[in-house]
Amino acid sequence: MNIIVITLLVIGGIGLVCGILLALAANFLAIKEDPRVEKLLEILPNANCGSCSFAGCADYAKAIIVDGVAINMCTPGGPDIAKRLAAFMGVELQAMERKVAIILCGGDKEKAPRRSTYNGIADCTAANAVDGGDKICRYGCLGYGSCSRVCPVGAIEISNDLAVVHEDLCIGCGLCAKTCPRGLIKIIPAKRTIHVLCSSKDKGPVVKKACKVGCIGCSICSKLAPNEAIKMDGFLARVDYTKDLENIELVEKCPGKCIIKKHDLK
Amino acid sequence: MKTYKAQYKIAGGVHPEYHKELTRDKGIEIMPLPPLLHVYMSQHLGAHAKPILKKGDKVLRGQLIGESTGFVSAAVHAPTSGTVKNIEETRTAAGTFTQTVEIEPDGQDQWTSSLTPISNWESTDSKVLLNAIAAAGITGMGGAGFPSHVKLSPPSGKPIDTIIINGAECEPFLTADYRLMLEHAAEIWEGARIISKILGAKNIRIAIEDNKPEAISAMEKAIGTADDSVHIVILPTEYPHGAEKQQIFAITGRQVPSGGLPMDVGVVVQNVGTALAIRDAVVNGHPLTERVTTVTGLPLAQPKNVMARIGTPYSDLIKFCGGINGVAAKIISGGPMMGLAQSSLDATITKTTSGILVLPAKAVTFYEAMPCISCGRCVEACPVNLMPCDLSQMLEAEDYEAARDCNVMDCVECGCCAYECPAHRPLVQYMRQGKARVSAKILEEKAKQAGKEKK
Amino acid sequence: MATEYILLVISAVLVNNFVLTRFLGICPCLGVSKKLSTALGMCGAVIFVITCASAVTWAVDHFFLSEQGIFKTDLNFTQTIAFILVIAAFVQLVDIVMKKFTPKLHGALGIFLPLITTNCAVLGVAVLNIQLKYNFTKSVLFGLAASLGFSLALIIFTGMREKIDRANPPKAFRGVAIALITAGLLSLAFMGFAGLVK
Repeated sequence: MNIIVITLLVIGGIGLVCGILLALAANFLAIKEDPRVEKLLEILPNANCGSCSFAGCADYAKAIIVDGVAINMCTPGGPDIAKRLAAFMGVELQAMERKVAIILCGGDKEKAPRRSTYNGIADCTAANAVDGGDKICRYGCLGYGSCSRVCPVGAIEISNDLAVVHEDLCIGCGLCAKTCPRGLIKIIPAKRTIHVLCSSKDKGPVVKKACKVGCIGCSICSKLAPNEAIKMDGFLARVDYTKDLENIELVEKCPGKCIIKKHDLK
Repeated sequence: MKTYKAQYKIAGGVHPEYHKELTRDKGIEIMPLPPLLHVYMSQHLGAHAKPILKKGDKVLRGQLIGESTGFVSAAVHAPTSGTVKNIEETRTAAGTFTQTVEIEPDGQDQWTSSLTPISNWESTDSKVLLNAIAAAGITGMGGAGFPSHVKLSPPSGKPIDTIIINGAECEPFLTADYRLMLEHAAEIWEGARIISKILGAKNIRIAIEDNKPEAISAMEKAIGTADDSVHIVILPTEYPHGAEKQQIFAITGRQVPSGGLPMDVGVVVQNVGTALAIRDAVVNGHPLTERVTTVTGLPLAQPKNVMARIGTPYSDLIKFCGGINGVAAKIISGGPMMGLAQSSLDATITKTTSGILVLPAKAVTFYEAMPCISCGRCVEACPVNLMPCDLSQMLEAEDYEAARDCNVMDCVECGCCAYECPAHRPLVQYMRQGKARVSAKILEEKAKQAGKEKK
Repeated sequence: MATEYILLVISAVLVNNFVLTRFLGICPCLGVSKKLSTALGMCGAVIFVITCASAVTWAVDHFFLSEQGIFKTDLNFTQTIAFILVIAAFVQLVDIVMKKFTPKLHGALGIFLPLITTNCAVLGVAVLNIQLKYNFTKSVLFGLAASLGFSLALIIFTGMREKIDRANPPKAFRGVAIALITAGLLSLAFMGFAGLVK
């Protein structure tokens, strides 16, 4: 009997003292922290990809609360998360559209051949540093897969020595665009369907020698496209992705066969 | 004057087969003008020069065609008289793209007189000499191509007491510097004295490897009875004794600090070819328009040491050397250790092209890189005491922070590690990539720091 | 006297290393041994917590639980509960205090502190102190030495793991598999110290 009482007293006493101490400490030494930051962090994807231009999701959450940064900057989260963030913060949702990466090159193994044998590190940056890359085209995809290795969701596949984005998997974080040593990857709104799959600024004859599907700078498309939706950048046609472009005629008229239409993804 | 063996032993080093016998006994041959010359605006380390001519302009030999565009940059001159055919962007031997002036020679080879010769340089102010060198577009002719006028004007806080004239030529196959020492020893010696006058350095060291006894005696003869401040230092035949920082250590025992320059320890190193070019610019008033390059390799019909104009296409050089017998498996601009593999013969001679090497199929093996077995042979071979094995693994895993902590930036890309590696790992390539990434990171950090300070 | 303390330290650090010989504290050792920087943070936290906890638990045992304590009753059967209670409360307290007064240190050790509140190594030291009938000085010293041994093992292990991860092991061995094999080999290596101290 006695021992039970003592045990209860001792353990209970220790517990009580500890509890009081902790309660006091928590009360007097507490640091004020905005609880909303943690809530926001729960909503965010916590992928820490950095596409919002902050160091990670936690940083972005803090920036939303403290600095009042816009809530539509999380590309991987897409409109869904932006909506939830807007609801939580009680602000109106600005327009948020899904973005995907696109590789502006269509020259695979057969269409854009290599000019030498490269047997160094299988990495685009490394290959590009050796004699300016082993492809004849100095602008085209080298196909050593640096972009696919850096992709957090495995959306880029190297098929036939050419990087291809699986748009349904892509979260548009832009890590691949930063990695590509030739700057071929652009982050564009997913709803755009007409693309010029070439980045070569070379003149027509040079392009023809290097690739079967290169832009030769004929500027037919830029004349056909309404509203200046395709502009010439020297000898290269570039799609202005801020403008609507649905003209399928372009695809057939392109003599270089580098304009394509992709199915609508939304 | 004294001649003696180097006292200090450098770390690491390897002994590749030298194969200098192919060209060492062949005198320098002057190559006739090729039908077209392609002169790159990036002949050197630093900012590209800016072309100042138009298509169709007539030029004279030695006329300025590319303006220097920064402090670390160098002027480019027309290698012969003729007409500018075209100016466009082309690929250099290093694989980068630069503006290229295409000149069609008129066969007259007429010199311009824009630079006045300075015959009495000993009594001329060193500022004037320095300007003459800058105007002549002289760059280091050993490999890196650092503009000479920059090297020869160290900041006032860094006095130079020793200059080293580098005639080590430790790269296998190459004999261009060796032939220069045999045939132009007196001019090189005069160039060395001009350099030492500009810098006010009291000691002159001439570094030659011990496999070139004829060059040593030729230089001895040229120097004659100079005082005791001039030494010919005989280096052991071991790669990379021709590398700037290793050579400084072997001769003076001074260690260039990590990330520092030779001027930090009071030394300036110039290649024998550079010394000759400096002498030519000062005494004759000739800008740098030609250089000696070793065109060699077993598949070549006649390997030669060629005096070729800047801008001569590799294909013409190889034709001049009798063409290639059979199959060439690899063509390298420079020596086999540090040279750059070429995918075509379109590249042209620059101020830094010390050789063109044609390798036969049996000398080129395509190995598959295997995992590192931590044998440590690369560590033993590394002349800057790095651990290439660990570094390559860090860089393979793209852990650039770790590589930076392990001093990847100190790598001199000499190739000793890759030469020794039994697993055939592309160690130098990893290092180059790592260095590029880390230096980009350092620049980024510096920019951030600068931005913060502005705020 | 001094020799006794030195032997105590050597024994706890090398011969009876907590991780590699007694197999205590395996979870943090496997969990945070991927990067040296986090491992160092963990080491700091462990050294701090174990040293302090051995002092606190010695006091609790001495004054409340032992027969010579205030209550003159042997309450050793409640040892585990009491120790965990005390250690957990103590760590929480330290956490709060550190957050307030040394936010920088808290940032470095912060996430590791709650991880090790009920770690077996911490409890192990406390229990061993009582079992081996150490006095107060010896208890604290033993705690310190044990945590130093833990740190030594963790740092060596992390260094090896960092290198092995980069060395691209075969797919089947990647990750925890090769880590466990490494730990086993390291443990074998530490067996070499057996017999150094009786």
